[in-house]
Amino acid sequence: MKSLHDFHPLVIFSYFFAVIGLTMFYMHPILLIISFTGATVTSFLLLKKSFLKSIKWLLPFMLVAAILNPLLIHEGETAILYINEQPITVEAIVYGFAASVMLIAIIFWFSAFNAVMTSDKFLYLFTKISPAVALLISLTMRLVPLFGHQIKKIMYAQRAIGMDPSSGSVWHRIKAGTRILSILISWALESAIETADSMKARGYGLKGRSTFSLFRFDRLDGFALSGIFILFIIQLLCSYFGWNEFYYYPTFSPIVWNGPMIFMTISYGILVSLPIFIEVLEAFKWRSLKSIN
Amino acid sequence: MSKKVISLIIFFVIIPIGILIGATLLEDGKYNLISMFVMVFACIPFFLSFERRKPDAREVLIIAVMSAITVAGRAAFAFIPAFKPMTALVAITGFKLGPEAGFLTGAVSAVTSNILFGQGPWTPFQMFTLGILGYIAGLLGKTKWMESKISLLFYGIFSGIMYSMLMDIWTVLSLGNGFSWIVYGSKIITAIPFTITYMISNVIFLWLLTKPIGDKLERLKIKYGVMQTT
Amino acid sequence: MALIEINQLMFSYPLATKPTLKNISLEIEAGEFVVLCGTSGCGKSTLLKHLKRELTPHGQTSGTIHFNGVALQDLPQREAASQIGYVLQKPELQIVTDKVWHELSFGLENLGYDSMTIRRRVAEMASFFGIQTWFRKNTTDLSGGQKQLLNLASIMVMQPQLLILDEPTSQLDPIAASEFIATLQKLNKELGLTIVLVEHRLEEVYPIADRVIILDAGEIIANDTPIKAATRLRHVDAHHPMLLGLPTPLRVHHALKQSDETPLTIRDGRTWLEKHYEKDHKQIQEAEPSGEVVLDVQDLWFRYDRHAEDLIRGLNFQLHQGEFLSIVGGNGTGKSTTLGLITGLLKPHRGKVTIFNKLLKKYAKKELYQGMISMLPQDPTTLLVEKEVQLELAMMSKDQTAIDRVINLLQIRHLLAQHPYDLSGGEQQKVALGKVLLKNPKILVLDEPTKGLDGESKQVLARILHDLQSQGTSILMVTHDVEFSAEHATSCAMFFDGEIVAKGTPAAFYSGNHFYTTATNRMCRQLFEDVVTTEQLIARCQSQQEVMTHV
Repeated sequence: MKSLHDFHPLVIFSYFFAVIGLTMFYMHPILLIISFTGATVTSFLLLKKSFLKSIKWLLPFMLVAAILNPLLIHEGETAILYINEQPITVEAIVYGFAASVMLIAIIFWFSAFNAVMTSDKFLYLFTKISPAVALLISLTMRLVPLFGHQIKKIMYAQRAIGMDPSSGSVWHRIKAGTRILSILISWALESAIETADSMKARGYGLKGRSTFSLFRFDRLDGFALSGIFILFIIQLLCSYFGWNEFYYYPTFSPIVWNGPMIFMTISYGILVSLPIFIEVLEAFKWRSLKSIN
Repeated sequence: MSKKVISLIIFFVIIPIGILIGATLLEDGKYNLISMFVMVFACIPFFLSFERRKPDAREVLIIAVMSAITVAGRAAFAFIPAFKPMTALVAITGFKLGPEAGFLTGAVSAVTSNILFGQGPWTPFQMFTLGILGYIAGLLGKTKWMESKISLLFYGIFSGIMYSMLMDIWTVLSLGNGFSWIVYGSKIITAIPFTITYMISNVIFLWLLTKPIGDKLERLKIKYGVMQTT
Repeated sequence: MALIEINQLMFSYPLATKPTLKNISLEIEAGEFVVLCGTSGCGKSTLLKHLKRELTPHGQTSGTIHFNGVALQDLPQREAASQIGYVLQKPELQIVTDKVWHELSFGLENLGYDSMTIRRRVAEMASFFGIQTWFRKNTTDLSGGQKQLLNLASIMVMQPQLLILDEPTSQLDPIAASEFIATLQKLNKELGLTIVLVEHRLEEVYPIADRVIILDAGEIIANDTPIKAATRLRHVDAHHPMLLGLPTPLRVHHALKQSDETPLTIRDGRTWLEKHYEKDHKQIQEAEPSGEVVLDVQDLWFRYDRHAEDLIRGLNFQLHQGEFLSIVGGNGTGKSTTLGLITGLLKPHRGKVTIFNKLLKKYAKKELYQGMISMLPQDPTTLLVEKEVQLELAMMSKDQTAIDRVINLLQIRHLLAQHPYDLSGGEQQKVALGKVLLKNPKILVLDEPTKGLDGESKQVLARILHDLQSQGTSILMVTHDVEFSAEHATSCAMFFDGEIVAKGTPAAFYSGNHFYTTATNRMCRQLFEDVVTTEQLIARCQSQQEVMTHV
């Protein structure tokens, strides 16, 4: 068994691609709730404390979206009050709420994605699309902290001769900040020549560059990828038959628990809870390993 | 020349058609998905042309340096909230090094800052928006217009509005109603303070930085013979 | 057949009036360890770059270079890239990617190897260099020494026959530098790798080199075994500035005009001294610095974060009017942090700093940095922003006579119209110092001012500092450079674990240390405990010789 972090980047990317894509696609309340629950639990398992911290600002956001929508959209049959002779409808309120649930589910899925998809995994995938741009990104990734460090050094040096960007009028700060940036750029561009030399010295620019990574695609990755693929195709087929359809306007369509709906719900539920399943299994395995050792 | 024609075709023909097809196939209301794909696909031709050209080490590095400065440059202005030089830096790179370098600097700085600070559904939008602003700057840079303060002022205002408008599309789409001019309009109105900050910071940074950074890039061109052919 | 054969190489840069390289002819055999040296601007880096085709500068060239019997320009690209490895000066600028493992594989990717081969070679090199513990780290998180080791390893994975290094240790602290040199020696001894090294810190590499080549104004003036090359240099010019860069035992031996075998290492130097001279310990004069206290640090405590450990623990020291205090100590002991605390950039959580009898925190920023205290940063480029040197100075002061005075003091008039980035490291530092001095500091703070400087630039810096000192400026310097500190400071202090553990005059301080002392003192402490600089040692030996000849 592996933890979520240990899967091949392709598996991780395919999973989040499927799940986030479907989440954006489905407005059906049951499917929304499934995805929202899955996203919440997954990102809690992966992020723990920092996840709890991030919830704080999401709740007010949900409320705002739920209020904003009915103020702007006046469709729907069930009006509860009129403002400036425009109806405020239950449908629009519910729709606004559903849309914000979707948005938060997407944000949670992305935060889980960010936790698992580390920079080297991301670059690995990008290399498959465009090796030259991926190298460009890798270089940039290397330079950002270097420049951040250099900015600190420059600021320190400037402050020690009394040229401080952290005090004085706004205009003074802008001027001082611009000077820091200018010093940084001079240094960075001149240094770039040396780094370019180091690239050329190691044969950059020869024909037939290959790409190397530490990632290996093993059997478990194969199982996971085909599982994700099958579940995704099932969802696409279900949508093709229109089983996911749900209308908010003019009024809510009924939720019917027939065979297709149950099948779609269960298979979507499996897809959404895959990472939870993997993480929990992993935790149990380690606990049992610990008790043996 | 033909490269430019291809990218222009992609912009004005393929993308609109893509949106159209996507909209009809996926029915109404799935603009959020479609728009993300469109944004990703819009970046690909630029990447491919860079790929095919087999860029020289110094050229790659200078684009990486400008992208990294665009990302790290925020730190130099940590003292002034919401006042950041990102767009201005991308535009200056475009002015001096041409449309392709402009696009790449914009797109790469967007990806990198998202890798470092967290990806989101906005990543493709930001990539494309900053990229295209760099590209337009690159086209303008070939004329002599961008040497005057007034044209920098106009470009600053234009890019502030563009940035705000393109980024707001996603916010609107994310609300799930599909694209509605009313919602979009109201979003743009609520975003006015931000848009104004963007515009002001763009103009100020363009005024303050175009000359010094331009000189430094020119010096590099002369001393080390990099990026002579853009 | 030699590995490298250079024949009648001439080179001049475009628009230059004089050639940078003149009639260079030399051979390097496979498995040799060659050290190339000379004063800055002698053409050593240019010569080195001619050995690496991808980096050869543009200009007018004549003559030939053969690698393994093949003219260098006819070497297939792939072979040229992999067979000749090149390590540059600044560790952090050579790193291309963000992960250690990716950096190691970068060269092999360029050569188009398949994943299996890359995996094996990378594994092999990582094990050889002991990189496996930080194999998956971000390259940003490495120390300077680790970065340079990584650069070396990522060249070595390409399995070169020839390794060229351009001042690879100049940016490293002494401990990391020694480790790096030791690794080079291991590569040479165990793998038979041919090494050509440009270095100005010769103390350690000189004894392990097979051959030393000395360049002067683009010409080879010596090309022989280390000892013979040194002798040859002395014959060419008895006052050649390069002589100052030679290892201490050699310099002493030369100066005393002895004719027996020349010692190269400290160990041999010590035996040699003991054979010729007699024990003569002199009482060390303990002199308390006099003059007004200009900076008073009392019981200073500091940490970066509330939950972090204290970095400065109860620091106490004083700086007097006209004193030149040098603080030495290892990496991460808090030396640089101390500079931040006394210049007001960092705030202590306990204790006080007093400058001219007024508490530091009571000073307004303008008042403090305008005429009280200024710091010359380690990296002079952090102060350079303009297109010309004169604009750099003009932005600091409107007073033209003050600017002229600084220009004369630093002797930089000939540089005024140049772009700061066209200057050498030493010249850049002078310009940065000029900017700092235009703030008229009564206390000048220096952070590692000799890092990366060659012997001659160090002499120039020392002269400037002495001039400033005689004008009444008090100087506080933090450094790794034990030799510089012993020769030029008026008092020295040792920093360890967040406080100053010992302080005294250079003689008292260094003769009291056993390991953390100058090469001279290590060589002669059995005979003359109080001697810490080469000049002192030579003088002492000479006086003994005189006495003996008189008897």
